Amino acid sequence: MSYQFDFSSIFRNIGPLLDGLVVTIQLTVVANVIGLTLGFLVALLAISPSRLIRYPTMLYIEFFRCTPALMQIIWFFYCLPILFNVYIPGLAMGILALGLNLVAFNAEAYRAAIQGVPREQVDASVALGLSSFQRTAFVVLPQAFRASLPVLLSNGIGTFQQSALVAVVAIADLMYNGKILATDTYRPIETFTVVALIYFAISFPISQIVEYLERRQAASIA
Amino acid sequence: MLQRGISGGLMTQRQFLIELEDLHKSYVGGERPVLQGLHIAMTPGDRVVVVGPSGGGKSTLLRVIMGLEPINQGRVLFNGQEYISVGADGRTKIDKQLRRQIGMVFQHYTLFPHLNVLQNLVLAPVKVRGEPRKMAEDRARSLLDRFGLGAKESAYPARLSGGQKQRVAIARALMLDPKLMLFDEVTSALDPELVAEVEQVIIGLANQSMPMMIVTHDMHFARNIASRVIFCANGIVVEDGPPEQVLGQPKEARTREFIKRVFHIGE
Repeated sequence: MSYQFDFSSIFRNIGPLLDGLVVTIQLTVVANVIGLTLGFLVALLAISPSRLIRYPTMLYIEFFRCTPALMQIIWFFYCLPILFNVYIPGLAMGILALGLNLVAFNAEAYRAAIQGVPREQVDASVALGLSSFQRTAFVVLPQAFRASLPVLLSNGIGTFQQSALVAVVAIADLMYNGKILATDTYRPIETFTVVALIYFAISFPISQIVEYLERRQAASIA
Repeated sequence: MLQRGISGGLMTQRQFLIELEDLHKSYVGGERPVLQGLHIAMTPGDRVVVVGPSGGGKSTLLRVIMGLEPINQGRVLFNGQEYISVGADGRTKIDKQLRRQIGMVFQHYTLFPHLNVLQNLVLAPVKVRGEPRKMAEDRARSLLDRFGLGAKESAYPARLSGGQKQRVAIARALMLDPKLMLFDEVTSALDPELVAEVEQVIIGLANQSMPMMIVTHDMHFARNIASRVIFCANGIVVEDGPPEQVLGQPKEARTREFIKRVFHIGE
């Protein structure tokens, strides 16, 4: 390999990358708050006995799961203002797009976990005289939350990584500032290596936590 | 073929703990009948063991009594009061207050995995009956000690053996002071060496005159514990009598055939 790495210009200009990282974390955290809360509510709608509620909810979930996140971001950024005359700041638009995408994936995680609670658990709680609300609150949901936690965390990391897509609509996140820095310094390899390492440094510990939780969960079922 | 309990004609309605009258139950829109006109009357002194071939409706019978399965026809009385019936709209009506007087232990433990042993025991008394937590915990500890599980109160179900889980499940059901206990094949999922510890607990309860209805494939256990054995097949009571009769000298040909197969299998 004849290429001579030179990271000095990157480290001299690390400020914009860190600013971008702050935006990336903002996008990720707020999108996850939306995803975790609305995702749960959407999951409850998705298991509603009423078809009028269930079908539109499933349509929303499947639309966001079956279309590329990049397309969703572009659609929110360019089409929403034109079609609905909605003008909100770029960062908020990015959060909305990523958040609604995550809502769909988290809703599926919650739904699968709720419906995955064994029927016998519900039978046992009926036999103990728990009311429908008590069964849900004290038996089904605590087990469902535990079961869905690894998937929710995985989805959360996924959103952290997918947040790089907002760079295409000029939101100054880590990826976008990396692109600018690469152009300014003529050092794209070094810049994107550092950007990749930053993404990795944050994602890797969380993925290890997910693995640990999955192992613990498997042991608790055994 | 007997359609009614052996003592059915001799007692007044008030003396029965539970009466099942003409119970019909089908799965899949009526295409798979499981109970086809079942009559059973049980007194408070009875320890009824229900035996019979798989798919004969034994477990469904217990699930119906526990109010876990709707019925298509018939009714269930508990202490002379209407407990389960079918309304004019075809829906099953269950008196939930009466249901609280019945406890059930299932084949597959069904302890709540996110709660430790003590929390499993106090959940229903605290949430359903509004019992003060401290009082419920004291009662739970006393029950756990009685069942040899005093050291396990902080353990989660995943850390317990099958036999321990099933003993905790029995203790959990007893926390609500049931008037009738239902045991649905509670030892079938256990390793053979763990069966005895669970059966001992049930025998201990029987010795304290706890009315119970047990579904089991373990004929020796059935013979030991039953004051009355009901042979159920195709959703009806084929034979109903003392264990020496039903398990020893059955009157009905279908019972004889079943007993012969069960006791001579593998010979």
